Amino acid sequence: MKATQSAAPLDPAVLDRLEGLALVARTVVEGFMSGHHRSPQRGSSVEFAQHRQYVPGDELRALDWKIFARSDRLVVKEFVAETNFACHLLVDASESMAFGSLAWTKFDYARWCAAALAHLVIRQRDAAGLVLFDEGVRDKVPPRTGLGQESEMLQALEQARPGGATGVGSVLNWLSGRLRRRGIVVLFSDLFDEPEVLIEGLRRLRHAGHEPIVFQVVDPQELEFDYTGLLRLEGLEGAGRMLVDPNAIRNAYREEFARHTGELARAARELSLDLVQLSTAQPLDVALSTYLAHRIARARARG
Amino acid sequence: MGLVQGFLHPALLWGAALASVPLIIHLLNRRRHRPLAWAAMRFVQAAHRRTRRRVQLENWLLLFLRMAAVAVLALAIARPFIGTESPLASLTERRRDLVLVLDGSASTGYRDVRSVHEALLERAREILSQLDGTRGDRARLYFAGRGCLRLATHSPEDALAALTTLSGPLDEPLDLAALVSELVTLAREDAGGSGHSALEVRLLTDLQRNAFAPPAPAEADAPAVDPLATGLDELHALGIELLVEDLGPPVPQPANLAVEAILPLTPLLGAGLASEIAVRVRNHGPGSRSGVRVALALDGERSPSQELDIDAHGSAQAVFLVALDEPGFHALEAEIEGDRLAVDDRRAEVLSVPAPLRVLLVNGAPSEDLGRDEVGILRAALEPPDDEAVVRALGSSYAPFLCTEITAPAFGAPETPLEEFDVVVLANVPAVPTQAIEALERWVAQGGCLLVTLGDRSADPSAVEALNGRLWRSDETGLLPARLGRLESGDPQAGVYYRATTFAEDHPALSFFADERWRPYLTELPVYAFVTCEPLSRARVLARLDDAAASPLLLERAYERGRVFLWTTSIDADWNAFPRSPATLIPLVHELLRYGGTGILPPRSAPVGASLALELEGFPRAAMLVRPDGARAALEREPRETDGGRFEIGPLGPLDRAGLWRVEAEGSGPHWIAAQLQPSESDLARIAPEELEGLHPAWRLARAGDAPDGTEEDPARQGELWRWLAAATLLLLVAETLWAAWIGRGRRLVP
Repeated sequence: MKATQSAAPLDPAVLDRLEGLALVARTVVEGFMSGHHRSPQRGSSVEFAQHRQYVPGDELRALDWKIFARSDRLVVKEFVAETNFACHLLVDASESMAFGSLAWTKFDYARWCAAALAHLVIRQRDAAGLVLFDEGVRDKVPPRTGLGQESEMLQALEQARPGGATGVGSVLNWLSGRLRRRGIVVLFSDLFDEPEVLIEGLRRLRHAGHEPIVFQVVDPQELEFDYTGLLRLEGLEGAGRMLVDPNAIRNAYREEFARHTGELARAARELSLDLVQLSTAQPLDVALSTYLAHRIARARARG
Repeated sequence: MGLVQGFLHPALLWGAALASVPLIIHLLNRRRHRPLAWAAMRFVQAAHRRTRRRVQLENWLLLFLRMAAVAVLALAIARPFIGTESPLASLTERRRDLVLVLDGSASTGYRDVRSVHEALLERAREILSQLDGTRGDRARLYFAGRGCLRLATHSPEDALAALTTLSGPLDEPLDLAALVSELVTLAREDAGGSGHSALEVRLLTDLQRNAFAPPAPAEADAPAVDPLATGLDELHALGIELLVEDLGPPVPQPANLAVEAILPLTPLLGAGLASEIAVRVRNHGPGSRSGVRVALALDGERSPSQELDIDAHGSAQAVFLVALDEPGFHALEAEIEGDRLAVDDRRAEVLSVPAPLRVLLVNGAPSEDLGRDEVGILRAALEPPDDEAVVRALGSSYAPFLCTEITAPAFGAPETPLEEFDVVVLANVPAVPTQAIEALERWVAQGGCLLVTLGDRSADPSAVEALNGRLWRSDETGLLPARLGRLESGDPQAGVYYRATTFAEDHPALSFFADERWRPYLTELPVYAFVTCEPLSRARVLARLDDAAASPLLLERAYERGRVFLWTTSIDADWNAFPRSPATLIPLVHELLRYGGTGILPPRSAPVGASLALELEGFPRAAMLVRPDGARAALEREPRETDGGRFEIGPLGPLDRAGLWRVEAEGSGPHWIAAQLQPSESDLARIAPEELEGLHPAWRLARAGDAPDGTEEDPARQGELWRWLAAATLLLLVAETLWAAWIGRGRRLVP
């Protein structure tokens, strides 16, 4: 396991790569905030906020035709009401997230992802909030906009240390009745919890009007179990010790892991929510942008 | 009865403890693990629950295969054997490794209805036919006499085929020590490092007492270590019993008459002398015999036979008067009427009849007084005056040396041509005439023998210088074997003298004195004066004095085909006491001059089994060796010319048959050789069975009721399992390999 203290909450290199993807950054927010959830808030007490440059993909009806007539520039009007949706970032900080066979742990990877999304969402003047949890809510930053919100979230992520037992399902159950602003709930966790409880939590979130997006953060060795020689496994979260021959149980382990993820994927399909498996060996920007591009494409196909 | 009756090497069962090694390795490997903090324990635990039983089963089975392979191998090495009632009896093998020895000694030629030898062959066939080469049985067949002849070493079929090549017994005694030595070698090879041999050794014999329990030798002649007892001890230690089958005559002392010896009774053999030859016949039987006819043939010509009466266990001799007309070798063959053992009914002997040697004595210090004359005593030793008793005994006044004496000045004169002599003795001759030197050198080079002795006239410095000047050359082309030096004298009055303490005991001319009885006659006689000398590199010092410089007393050198001797003291009694000791002077000069004049010829008689070399006068062209039965074989080895100008052929032999052998060559021969049976072989007394087993625990007599295949007692042959166990080890190792591969394939990384 790698020490989580050594890892910054958001790797500057990753941020650089995300900054370089201006278009992606834009679409990230759109993908989250506008693409799929535009209808519920349309036309109700909107307040003009600003103009901005048109970029391909903007709706034509948002164009300010007057300005276009005067200056031949394509700009769109943005309204404050568009930020009524909030993006809730839920990061699993249980002890199991402290595992990592690479130079970083699953928790590092999860908070990098959370920080990246928070950065992009807030930069687009949308509201973002953060919940750090293990078997209960450990820390919470209510969703707001503005640069101060981003720094508050980053500070919370930076100060967080993985520990405690996993209770993803129970935490989701608990949060489903307490998140006041409906919106997107993005969950970063290894999902090492009982599938039934987990699925129940997601179902409740869904019924509460949220759209859960689940990122299952796993280490490549948790996928492959590619060890040789006898191992004395010391279970995190007090799971006990066990002497195992990796060669002897590898295939069975993979089957068990696949069965677990398959069960979750089936439930995700039933609930029409996205379940994305992120390997910590995968470049973070690639992983996020790939998912978002896929999401945008899906949204366009719908509509 | 249990599965296994015992183990040949029970100590090796400790090797089974090595079976714990795989288990220890397994346990040690379990300690060699790597700790790892792990998050996804729920999946590991689930996988472990699913696979635990299967994996444990696989691992324990693999461990079992490894441990079993080691344990079974250890068991195989310990060589378990089982009884016939064991449930595993059907798995055992009855492979036999038989060493079958046939007594080939001459005594097995004893014939009743059939000969003992024929009985041995029949019994050998019977034993060998019980073996089965296809089962892995091995048979080694030996025919034992003086040596141990290996006839077959592998399959019983080979041994049966080899039996057909045996036409009769050897004319040799049975040397049990040699046989046991060979068996010890076999047993050691068979035992390897285990210290136990499973060989089955069986000896078919007539139990002749002289072979198994010969009379104890005199204490002085007894060897420090008895090789037979030592060999038997070792065989016994290796777990081998020598199973002896008695196939000899049914009586403890079979009757037998044997020609034991042919002995010349006449003290001196000479050409033209009538000689008495005794033929001694021994009666080995328990009853006396009368009217035994004895015949003797000289060079193939039979004398009238004689009759002998011989007491039980006694001997008698018939004396034949024969005329040995010519010098040289003569063949004698004695024969008695045939009995049950034919080989000792005839006996041969070859006698050497020397021709008289012609000796020229050159007297350097003549005197009327025999005692003061330089060659007076020497001549008396070579040519003693006629003795009436001797003349009467010999039938004539025969002399082995014909001496001619001249004074020194007369040497080299035409009236004494050297060609008429075999030996020239220059006795105290101060100076050899110059004109005689060349003739003398030529004569010696052609084969003459020159003996130079010194004395008061030849020892003064001028005489020494003259002798060196004429008879010695630095390039070694002179006649003398050494350069003469100064006179060295002791003091007889004060008891200061020298002795010839060291001499060449192997030299034919001095070997007479090698016998401890006669040694003092040469080594204890005083020498008061001698002339020092520096031997040539090609000269051989035959005797040395005990002075500080170990000065030479007698030297020899070869001079082309001739020979020169130098006696560095006087031949009369002036400088030493040799002439006063006839027991020294007579054999010394007789042997020396006979060797020098003719060379001492090697004997022409030898025991059966020995080899001989012959020295012949002329070159033997197209030489053939003719055996006693008339079979002829060309001699392939080239004759070798000896220093004396003779030709040596041989060694001939081994002379494996008793009787008269001969060498025939173009223009010469026949040259006779007598191969003689050892007399003790004619005594057919047999050892009692109970006495045999008392001789040594390694002997065991086969009795009626013994299992014919010898499997009744030796656990090593009661049914061994080791091959099955070795095969089981192999199978276990193969199973372990396959199982490990199968497990590995099931657990290998799936991409």
